[in-house]
Amino acid sequence: MELRPLLIAVSVILAMSGVSSADAAHAVWSGLVIAENVPQPAAIPPELTKFEQTLKDLFGYNQFELIGQSSKTLRTGEEDWLASSKYFSLHVDAHGENDSGYALNLKLYKEKDILLETEANLSRSSPLVIKGPQVGSGQLLLVLVVKDDQQTHQHRRAEPTNPITAGWHRLRRAIHNILP
Amino acid sequence: MKTFEEKWTAWLDGELSGSELIEFESSLPDLAAAEAEKRDAQKLGAFLKKELGAQTLSNEEFFSHQLRERIARETEDRSRGREGRSTWWTVPRLVWFGATALALFVIFGIALLREHQPGERSEYLTQILHSQVDPAANPNATVSIFESKNENKVTVLWTEGLQSLPADYAAK
Repeated sequence: MELRPLLIAVSVILAMSGVSSADAAHAVWSGLVIAENVPQPAAIPPELTKFEQTLKDLFGYNQFELIGQSSKTLRTGEEDWLASSKYFSLHVDAHGENDSGYALNLKLYKEKDILLETEANLSRSSPLVIKGPQVGSGQLLLVLVVKDDQQTHQHRRAEPTNPITAGWHRLRRAIHNILP
Repeated sequence: MKTFEEKWTAWLDGELSGSELIEFESSLPDLAAAEAEKRDAQKLGAFLKKELGAQTLSNEEFFSHQLRERIARETEDRSRGREGRSTWWTVPRLVWFGATALALFVIFGIALLREHQPGERSEYLTQILHSQVDPAANPNATVSIFESKNENKVTVLWTEGLQSLPADYAAK
């Protein structure tokens, strides 16, 4: 039996698996959002577009305004960062990565006072929304989302398209769409 | 200087001549007996040459026959093996092999994806491990956790009873 074609196929698959695993850099986006009901709501921030209807259904507001945000690329899983507005700040301290996401310690400050402290395991596929205090006629919400590293995407777009890699990504997408 | 045995052998083979032949024959005690012995030796030599020569020829033929047979057998085996290899991977077999491999891949893929039953707490959902509201500033505050039922899988930490703040706090 000719083993050479088989070996070549296995090598190509392993190489492409390496390419896909190299895509695994993630960033955590954290935002401070004021949700209110207004006569003419502004467009929802792009980071929340995916969850717009969920947020409307959960909280009953028609406008979601971003008053502070931060996006942090996690390389070691031990980073910490701050998303802040004029009066509020959300301190996020990552304690490492596990199979399902990132272990985070969250502290919501109102100026220098801690309002809320939470230990969470933030999944890559499940955003976290925290209902904060009532602010005027609206509500403060804290949103945390794991997303693909934007820089990785930009870098990938800048590179010429490799037909094998592109085909592999198309195949992965097709299988993902077919399987439930 | 040749020994007697050397001269004797040479004499039997008829290789002595001239003065050497005369000298050797004169040194023999009984020339007639030696002549008789020489004839016998020559007869024996002729007989052996005849018999051994025929046998050698027979061995050569046998050896070459064996060699030809072996070459023929090996050639046949090799061609049979080549035929076997080329016929095993036929197109229909390849198609069946590919289809079977694909079916196994799909079955295992589905089995792996269905390991997480609906309703079971999935590792793909965000988990709240601990949550605490400042009890001094918000003595009546409560915290509850739930997950959205839609496809977004949003995990919600719902607080109630937090102190309300003026609208100014909504500033960027």
